[in-house]
Amino acid sequence: MKGIVVTGAKLFLICAIAASVLGFVNAVTEPVIRQRKIRELKEALESLIPEGEVGKLVKVENNDVVKGYYPVKKDGKLFAYILDLRGNGYGGELKILAGFKGNGEIVNVKLMDNEETPGLGKKAEKPEYMKKFIGTGGTKPVPVRKDMLSRKDADAVTGASITFMGIANALAEGSEFAKKLGGKS
Amino acid sequence: MIEHFTKGLFKENPIFIIVLGLCPTLAVSTQVVNALGMGAGVIFVLLGSNFFVSLLRNFIPEKIRIPSYIVIIASFVTMVDLFMQAYAPTLSKNLGVFVQLIVVNCIILGRAEAFAKNHTVSESVLDALGMGIGFTLGLLLISLIREVLGAGTITLFPFGNFDGVIRIPVIYNAPIRVIGLATGALLVIGYLKGFFDWMAIRKKKREIEKRVSAVKV
Repeated sequence: MKGIVVTGAKLFLICAIAASVLGFVNAVTEPVIRQRKIRELKEALESLIPEGEVGKLVKVENNDVVKGYYPVKKDGKLFAYILDLRGNGYGGELKILAGFKGNGEIVNVKLMDNEETPGLGKKAEKPEYMKKFIGTGGTKPVPVRKDMLSRKDADAVTGASITFMGIANALAEGSEFAKKLGGKS
Repeated sequence: MIEHFTKGLFKENPIFIIVLGLCPTLAVSTQVVNALGMGAGVIFVLLGSNFFVSLLRNFIPEKIRIPSYIVIIASFVTMVDLFMQAYAPTLSKNLGVFVQLIVVNCIILGRAEAFAKNHTVSESVLDALGMGIGFTLGLLLISLIREVLGAGTITLFPFGNFDGVIRIPVIYNAPIRVIGLATGALLVIGYLKGFFDWMAIRKKKREIEKRVSAVKV
């Protein structure tokens, strides 16, 4: 009986000390991480459509892919939308920011938070990766299968097909959503 | 005393000889910079866990040693994760989920159980340093081979005008992509392990031959 109490008390002590140390570390790092996330989001939004002025986030309910959109204005007129999209990657959810024109054409794409495999799916974070999507969605369809890509682009997504499909499907859905918004804020 | 440090580098190298921690090794050895980051994380966690496990070896009852070790290890991993997210965001992004997975990296629990719990603090710290550096060296070797052959690049830290990526002519234009995939990782690790085993056997043979000839004389 006494043994169990002592053992339990010791385990409790170890956990309590560990928890308080972690609480302290979290208190130090949390504001830094939060500020960095806000800054990253702002930079990403500005870099997507540099010529426009990004407006306030409009939240979208009851949609698995489109979580919200930012209207982008140029010279006071509505110019494009930046959509906050979610896709299914190899390592879980993909957070994608993508700029669309009113006719559904993709202006620019950026992969944000993701858990993809380093060296494979993670390559999608590079701007070059997204070049194959830019300009599609309007008159040209968004490439959602590997056979819709050029040989060179198809080679580049080899080994990370699921990441590619996740991004492509989210973008195709986003393009449809932008068409429905159709130039209205 | 010093052999507690040096054994982890070659004689008991965690990757090639003890064959521990292969899961993260396969996953993050695609780029040299990831190997360095992962190595640094593992060294830090290993130092912390070995230090505390050894310090508390007479305090922690035998029955609850595994949960206690896991709490200690998980605390250090969470610290590394939070600090990386705050101060090294690019590295944290590249390593992704593998930082959190250091918790279940068998090297760390393995050293706590096999070494730190019945050695002094200073011996345990030396053991952690040796094993951590041994792991990093192994990871570096694998990632160097895989990145050079599989992508034709060597990715280091960017500074100044240098973007951190060394591109190797010829291979960069026609890399052997399979080396960069999981299959390639297994192949590279297998060949390297074969090579190190061959070296160890050859060394032993030579020693035996030496002894035999000494007896003859």
